[in-house]
Amino acid sequence: MNVVFKSTYYTLYQSTAERRYYIDFGQKMVRISLCELLSLRHKIMSISIEDHFDSDLNSHGFEVLMLCNKEHLFILNTLEVLDLKTLIDNGFVALGLSARAGALI
Amino acid sequence: MKDIARQSMSIKVESMDLLNGQIKMEAHASATYLAMASWCEQNGFFTSAKFFFKQAEEEREHMMKIFNFLVDTGGNPISPEVTNINHDYSSIVDVFESTLEHEVKVTKSIHNIVMKSRELGDLATEKFLDWFVLEQVEEENTIRDILDMIEVTGTEGVGLQMIDTHVANWIE
Ligand SMILES: [Fe+2]
Ligand SMILES: [Fe+2]
Repeated sequence: MNVVFKSTYYTLYQSTAERRYYIDFGQKMVRISLCELLSLRHKIMSISIEDHFDSDLNSHGFEVLMLCNKEHLFILNTLEVLDLKTLIDNGFVALGLSARAGALI
Repeated sequence: MKDIARQSMSIKVESMDLLNGQIKMEAHASATYLAMASWCEQNGFFTSAKFFFKQAEEEREHMMKIFNFLVDTGGNPISPEVTNINHDYSSIVDVFESTLEHEVKVTKSIHNIVMKSRELGDLATEKFLDWFVLEQVEEENTIRDILDMIEVTGTEGVGLQMIDTHVANWIE
């Protein structure tokens, strides 16, 4: 397995033999297809991080994230969400599917 | 590291995002024309209603064209959320003027994606949008012609009903 990108908390790997990707979430390793990775990217992009700084809109500053068609469930705090954004963003650049760095931020 | 990602997906994610935005815009256009059809029906402009029912269908076809392009290129097409549909119009002239405004907005959005995909060197997306660029010329022209007809006919007396009858000329 090759490391595609490593952020502060997470690492994205590519397994060429399996034609799959893996995300090391620290407590759990998740096997993920490119479609599921695209879907994760969409979910992460749809999170309104501004709401985390407004106690009316997001009182506890957490996001519930379901992955791989409801196979996994994660609860992320603000910093983890931002870090996952960084991972996905740079991951897609490293995979050659994104034209520029900082696309998601 | 072998480039297996590129083998599964043939456009850049930035193009995909822009095209998903356009899917949303076409869905919004479709819903807006349906609202206009409803207004026309309720206000006795039955031919115009027919025109907008057809427009609503066409916009949905545009949406599906982009949706299928994202499927073909291995992207992640997103079924759009459609909100904020206006149902209030002050007159049939207002309806057609809003239509032209809406179409111009769509044209600008498509041109923007063409320019961005050119910047990204995304030839597939750029070529795919050729059809949309020309379609927008047609659509704008149709609405401009209807607005010209409205101006010539005038809205006094039986003018409004004559306008409605004349709209039939633009229903293929
Ligand atoms: Fe359209
Ligand atoms: Fe249109």
